[in-house]
Amino acid sequence: MIIADRKPFEEIKELTSKAKNILIAGCDSCVAVCLASGEKEVAVLASELRMQRKMDGLEGEIEEIVNVRQCENEYVDAMRDKVEKADLILSMACGVGVQTLAERFPDKLAYPALNTKFMGRPVEPGVWKENCEGCGHCILHLTGGICPVARCSKSMLNGPCGGSQGGKCEVDPEIDCGWQLIYDRLSRLGQLDALVEIMLSKDWSTSWSGGPRRVIKESAGV
Amino acid sequence: MNQITEDFEPQIVAFCCRYCAYAAADLAGSSRIQYPPNVKIVLLPCSGKVDELYLLKAFEAEADGVYVAGCLEGTCHFLTGNLRAKKRVQYVKSLLDEVGIGGERLEMYNLSSAEGQRFAEIAREMTERIRALGPSPLNQRKSKEGAIK
Amino acid sequence: MNFSGYGTVRNFSEMKGTELKESSEKTGAVLVVGGGIAGMQASLDLADSGFKVYLAEKSPFIGGKMTQLDKTFPTNDCATCILTPRMVDVAENKNIELLVYSEVEEIKGYGGNFDVKIRQKATYVDWSKCTGCEECVSKCPAKIDDEFNQGLGRTKAISLPFPQAVPKKVTIKREFCHFFLKGKCRVCEKVCQLGAIDFDDQDQIIERKVGAIILAPGYEVYDAHHSPEFGFGRYPNVVTSLQFERLLSAAGPTGGHVQRPSDSQKPKRIAFLQCVGSRDQDHGYCSSVCCMYATKEAILAKEHDPDVDVDIYIMDMRAFGKGYDDYYNRAVEEYGIRYIRCRPSAIKEIPQSKNLLIKYQEGREGLRTEEYDLAILSVGLGPGSSSLSLSQKLDLQLNEYGFYQSDPFQPLLSDKPGVYVCGVFTEPKDIPESVIQASGCAALAAGLLAEARGSLVLEKTYPPEKDVSAEEPRIGVFVCHCGSNIAGVVDVNQVAEYARSLPGVAYVETDLFTCAQDTVLEMREKIKEHNLNRIVVSACTPLTHAPLFQETMQEAGLNPYLFEMANIRNQCSWVHAREPEKATEKAKELVRMSVARAAHLEPLTKFPMPLNHDALVVGGGISGMTASLALADQGFEVYLVEREGRLGGIANRLHYVFENQDPGELVTSLARKVEEHPRIHLYLHTELKKFSGFVGNFRSILSRRTDDGAGEEIEVEHGAIIVATGGQEYLGPDYGYSRDVRILTQLELEEKIASNGSVLQGIKDVVMIQCVGSRTKVRPYCSRICCGEAVKNALRLKEINPEARIFVLYKDIRTYGFMEKYYTEAREKGVIFVRYDDEHLPEVIVAGGRFGPKSGSNEHQRETEKQAAPHTQDMAFSVGQPEPTGHSTAATMQGRGETSASEQYWDSLTVRFYEPILDEMLELHPDLLVLSTGVVPSEGYEELSRLLKAPITQDGFFLEAHVKLRPVDVAFEGIFLCGLSHYPKYIHESIAQAQAAAGRAATILSKKFLEVGGAIAEVDSEKCVACLTCVRVCPYYVPIINVEGVAQIDPAACQGCGICTAECPVRAISLRHYLDEQIIPKVESLLAGVV
Repeated sequence: MIIADRKPFEEIKELTSKAKNILIAGCDSCVAVCLASGEKEVAVLASELRMQRKMDGLEGEIEEIVNVRQCENEYVDAMRDKVEKADLILSMACGVGVQTLAERFPDKLAYPALNTKFMGRPVEPGVWKENCEGCGHCILHLTGGICPVARCSKSMLNGPCGGSQGGKCEVDPEIDCGWQLIYDRLSRLGQLDALVEIMLSKDWSTSWSGGPRRVIKESAGV
Repeated sequence: MNQITEDFEPQIVAFCCRYCAYAAADLAGSSRIQYPPNVKIVLLPCSGKVDELYLLKAFEAEADGVYVAGCLEGTCHFLTGNLRAKKRVQYVKSLLDEVGIGGERLEMYNLSSAEGQRFAEIAREMTERIRALGPSPLNQRKSKEGAIK
Repeated sequence: MNFSGYGTVRNFSEMKGTELKESSEKTGAVLVVGGGIAGMQASLDLADSGFKVYLAEKSPFIGGKMTQLDKTFPTNDCATCILTPRMVDVAENKNIELLVYSEVEEIKGYGGNFDVKIRQKATYVDWSKCTGCEECVSKCPAKIDDEFNQGLGRTKAISLPFPQAVPKKVTIKREFCHFFLKGKCRVCEKVCQLGAIDFDDQDQIIERKVGAIILAPGYEVYDAHHSPEFGFGRYPNVVTSLQFERLLSAAGPTGGHVQRPSDSQKPKRIAFLQCVGSRDQDHGYCSSVCCMYATKEAILAKEHDPDVDVDIYIMDMRAFGKGYDDYYNRAVEEYGIRYIRCRPSAIKEIPQSKNLLIKYQEGREGLRTEEYDLAILSVGLGPGSSSLSLSQKLDLQLNEYGFYQSDPFQPLLSDKPGVYVCGVFTEPKDIPESVIQASGCAALAAGLLAEARGSLVLEKTYPPEKDVSAEEPRIGVFVCHCGSNIAGVVDVNQVAEYARSLPGVAYVETDLFTCAQDTVLEMREKIKEHNLNRIVVSACTPLTHAPLFQETMQEAGLNPYLFEMANIRNQCSWVHAREPEKATEKAKELVRMSVARAAHLEPLTKFPMPLNHDALVVGGGISGMTASLALADQGFEVYLVEREGRLGGIANRLHYVFENQDPGELVTSLARKVEEHPRIHLYLHTELKKFSGFVGNFRSILSRRTDDGAGEEIEVEHGAIIVATGGQEYLGPDYGYSRDVRILTQLELEEKIASNGSVLQGIKDVVMIQCVGSRTKVRPYCSRICCGEAVKNALRLKEINPEARIFVLYKDIRTYGFMEKYYTEAREKGVIFVRYDDEHLPEVIVAGGRFGPKSGSNEHQRETEKQAAPHTQDMAFSVGQPEPTGHSTAATMQGRGETSASEQYWDSLTVRFYEPILDEMLELHPDLLVLSTGVVPSEGYEELSRLLKAPITQDGFFLEAHVKLRPVDVAFEGIFLCGLSHYPKYIHESIAQAQAAAGRAATILSKKFLEVGGAIAEVDSEKCVACLTCVRVCPYYVPIINVEGVAQIDPAACQGCGICTAECPVRAISLRHYLDEQIIPKVESLLAGVV
């Protein structure tokens, strides 16, 4: 899922300082599951803003709304009534949600309250780690199910590098060496011979290097 | 300002778990241990029921101080409720700092139901702390009350 | 295999046993004698499984000795915190008739039908009128020593025993009352505004018919006056451990400040003297709990004042229970408590300072003297004050120490059918053991009276509830004066006036005592008259008083959840007595908050959920068989699953116990009963494969290995499950085990002795090493049974050959309770006990190698170590002609760390050890080396733990819901534990725990329906995003993501803590009765002023 994290309050305060009526729009999808959004976080931010604005002598109302997915036109359009009363929509969705709001409500300001981080998963309660960069061409079948693009700090296809020390990465000792993980898994699977193969350089045109991407499924067209 | 601070009677909300903190308050009563009347208890089944929002809403409603009181660590009636509460209190403290109200207006306490004395101590400690801090920046009650008196 | 009825939820009334209800000749009621923790447990279990209970307690309150404790070991749980709710449960249970201040007068009849007469002593107070307001206590002029505080504080001749006392009623002690002594006073009568004082009160004789009797009369602590050498009663700074418990207690006479009696100074040097009234010439038994409570008190003293020095004079540290050794280690390592291995013979006082001198022996350094500010006598547990008269009335024979010593294979039965025994009455024991025995007694009594189950219980019916959902709040506010308790400080009329102004309030009154009987009756009328739909009682604490008013509401047709209390006494008048104006203001605020919440309260109903009345028992050892029988005898169908092809488990390898009975015969007789019992469905070669569902409605898949090698799967539905998966002998390679036929485990020795003891006649020297695979770094726990096992086998060897020299190398000899007698006997017969510690481990030299215990430095060792192969049954065994075993080759020696194999040791078995009194290394060449190996959990415990969502300790034993008060329950409701799967224990303890597990399971299985609902968590499936947060945070593992992809919280399993509701990111979970819209307005109304 998409992992996000709330912006520091100082920054949100700055973003909202000129607005009068603010609508905080949460999303119940990935960002709620990673505890950055959803009704609770929306209410917490709303409460914080109300208190701060009261102290700063700012006027206006703070409204709250949450929808199923902020990246879908239909869900976003259903917010229209509340949006109209607001000067600013403060989105607690990922970057996709913010852009959907901006697109559907072209005359309203839609600002992000979250920093969208990465595609990843919870590894323990309260800790999420990155697993996928969306390179557009998956090679997980070659690397023991561990992605060298996302999990090697250098995205090396033929690792590890000399910076792998005791299973940790030289970039940050908190980071597991992706290639150590690949080695361990392949060894467990009895497929270490796969490491002898030199992986040729990857076709990055499927990744972001090729510009904004799109996926088309003809059969799904209406 | 000094005058206001001297007259200032903080409003403090105490979220108390049923099994230890509330029972300790009862015992403070039966033992007639005196403490300042500024603390008002809200009874919850477990300190783990305390929601971040309850704490924020109390401040939004102009409480000068808030605390959560649960069982001693490791002896929560619901096993882990007081540990969850502790984390949430820590989190809301940081939010209060961000907003400018000040995390020191919020605290987490642990005590057993046999500690009536401790309950009174906590009430005193918190009242003194908040009195020293002065009214919450959000508190507009003081002007209202002044008018009534 | 006859296997009928599974897969359907059968109605309770179809069950056997209840069919006989109409023609029942047995009485469906039980008398429980003793209202301590054991008596309360037995009462609750029976009352919750369909029996009427009369609970007779000799003191005016329930709770027993535990009420006087500050904290409990090994968790330092506050005793009051865990006990008070239990006492309130007893008092509130409609099927328990509480007869306090009562003693058994006469018992006639036989099992199934007894006629009992109980003398209820005069309290001189009409308890139906007394509200426990204590106004009389404050005015009573007769000051007396406070018995509850062990004479350290003062109380009055009319008093409440302690603030949380249940029942909360005062009693006049006639022997101290001025009126009774001098003929005038009667102050209490004058101040009591309820007219409750009755100087003409007389003892009452109460007659009851019961089917069974459970004796739990408890104990008295040893009277230290009888040990004058320690100066108790003469030296003010010598106190007993129970007195010290009161000094530690925050609710005690010094408010939790540890002070020495002579000058109220903080002691800086404290000594504990163990075994005062235990393990001596007059008390040949060990009191079992003193080592641990002294450790606890020492830790607490350190926590009160980290600068205090604490020494404990001790012979053996008997930390034999679950988590006890860990607690002891922390006392030494973290708290720096010093354990001195010596039993001082006297205490001397320095008259000027009142300090105390203790002389003791330290190793070879001779006698030393130490000075202390305070000395604490760890007094033992002696027979209860009523034990003797009670046993005489029942014609029961007490043992030489005054306890009722039961048959180890029938630990809860007395000689008199229908009379069951539990708690310290049978032997000194700690709280969980007492609770276990009590639940076990409940199971046995329920088995005897199964046909009369439900015949005498009351189900109170109330008028139909008024539907208030469409009504605007009409709140009735009752403001209580509590005599002068509230009204003496708070202006009650002003508060009432203020309440009238609050929104939604339709009626307000003030009462002298809102809880007084007539006021409560009038409240019913007021509810109807004023058409009230919410009630706020502005008085004292809901923890004790809510049930009374809620019941009144139900009688008036109002849902009991439409109730709220404002605690203007405990939280206001009593604690702000010097600020009456501010107190009145606060009282108004508290009422305002309660009214605000009351307006948002909603009615909640509990609904009946059908359940399956069958049980699944996993494990067919003694525990599993006993539990199955205890359930089947009560009329429940039982599925008993055993993975081996034979019943009996590890007991198949046991041959005798101290008292000479044969566990083999026990296994045989249990197995026969199990196989013949029509309600037990036995599955051998079968394992639990899958498990799902919640309490009352579990579904399990069993996998059976069939003769043709193919397996079959069997599906079983059941309402409860008992884990009795047992344990096994630790067989690590310590001390050269498996390298020489002369090295045996205790179990192997027992098998030799039992099969052909005569081959051991030639044995001259035997060495036994204790704590093999126990109390090590890898396995820090004590295996509990090995000391007893060693003493037992040593005595057998002495019988076979009285000339044999037997050396037992030990850390602490933990022959607790009556086993101490056998330890004494062993020493009398010349068995030599030599203490070792971790710095001086014994060493075994055999087959060219040196062996000690396995080093415990590698934390992964436990997973990787392989159990050494035990000797095969047919291995050659000859005495005096040792042969190197075949596999003790030089090659296998490599990597053992010791390669300096020396030829001269090849043939001989050598044990080298340090003798602390001689301060020398000794060397023996024994004919036999017997390793007292510990108990480890049986294979597959981790998988079972995952399957059942039943947590295990780091040692691999299943974890109970609460170490003190819920010792057979698992946190996940409907799962119960017994036997070695819970912790190593003796057979009699396993039997009691198995019966307890059955008793606890019966509280569920016997219900017609599970009553679920009320203040529990509910998921709004529309909002749920299946994020798993609730699944991860619930301490009881209740939420699951269901087939619809949303969280589901089983209403029968939810404990109502609300943790999940506060964590849910989409606010999809709410805790009924504590909804956000009920909590937040309460807070806001305080701060907003009038709303």
